[in-house]
Amino acid sequence: MTESEFRRHGWRLLAAWAVLIVLMLASLGSAYVPLGRGNVAVGLAIALAKAGIVAALFMGLARAPALLRVVGCFALGTLLLLIGLSGIDYATRAVAPAPFQGSLR
Amino acid sequence: MNTRALALHDEGFTARLGMWVFLASEVMFFGGIFVTYAYGRSHWPQGFAEAGRHTHVVIGTVNTALLLTSSAVVAFASACAQHARMRRWTGRLLWLTAAFGAAFLALKGVEYAKEWQEGLVPGAGFVLATPGAQLFSMLYFFATGLHALHLAIGIALVGAMAWGAGRRRAWADAEAVEMGALYWHFVDIVWIFLYPLIYLLGRHA
Repeated sequence: MTESEFRRHGWRLLAAWAVLIVLMLASLGSAYVPLGRGNVAVGLAIALAKAGIVAALFMGLARAPALLRVVGCFALGTLLLLIGLSGIDYATRAVAPAPFQGSLR
Repeated sequence: MNTRALALHDEGFTARLGMWVFLASEVMFFGGIFVTYAYGRSHWPQGFAEAGRHTHVVIGTVNTALLLTSSAVVAFASACAQHARMRRWTGRLLWLTAAFGAAFLALKGVEYAKEWQEGLVPGAGFVLATPGAQLFSMLYFFATGLHALHLAIGIALVGAMAWGAGRRRAWADAEAVEMGALYWHFVDIVWIFLYPLIYLLGRHA
C-alpha cells in the first residue's frame, strides 16, 4: 500500500464510521415514530445499509476479487432461501403448544 | 478450480477465501435465530413488543456505537499492518479494538444483572404476563449470549494478534491481522441486525 493509497483508505474508513454512527442514531430515532409495520422495515433497511458498509469498506468486499464476492453473495442468497422455505412451513402450520408451555407466555 | 488456477493466486487469497467460507457457514448458524425471532414476532406481536420495551435501549445503543467504532479501529489496524511506515501502530490499535470489545461485554454484564433484578430472566419469577413475552426473553438471552461468546473469541483472537504484532512475530503478519479483522467485522454485523430487532421494537407505544 503506497502512502497516498493509505491516506485515502484511512479517510474512507473514517467517513464510513461517521455514516455508521449517523445511521445508528437514525435507526434509534425512527423507533420512536409510530409507523406500524414500517418501524421494523426501516430498522432492517438501516441495518442492511450498515452491514453493506461494513462488508464493502471494512471487510474490503468492494475491492475483493470476484470469487470472494461470490462467496459473500452465495451466503446471503442461501440464508434468504432457507428463511423463505422455513417461513412457508411455519406460516401454514397451526400453533399447537405442548401442555408444559401453558399460555406460551 | 484446477491446480494451475489455484497456483495463480497467492497464499493470502487462499486464506481470505477460507475465512469467507467459514463466515458464510456462521451466517447460516445465526440465521436460525433470526427465523425463530420472525416466527415468534409474527405470532405474538404484543408479547414481543412489551418485552422489547423492557430492554435497556441506552445500554444497547452505547454497545452498538462501541462495536461500530471497534470495527473501524480494527479495519485501520489491518491497513496499518500493510503499510511499512505505520506498521508499529498495528499492535496498539488491536489492543484498542480488544478494549472496545471488553467494554461491550462489561456493559452487557451490567444489562444482564439489571434484567435479573427486574425479573426479566425466563423462569418462574418472570414478571411480564403477555403471551410471547417470555419467548422473546428466551430468544434475547440465547441470541445475545451466543453473540457474546463469539465476541469473547474475537477479543482473544485480536488480543493474541495485538501481542504478536507488538513483538513483530511472524505469525501476526498483515495477512493474519486481516483474518482476525474479518472475523471481528462479522461479529459486528450480527449485532447490527440484533440491535433493531431487540432494542427498538415497541418503543413508540
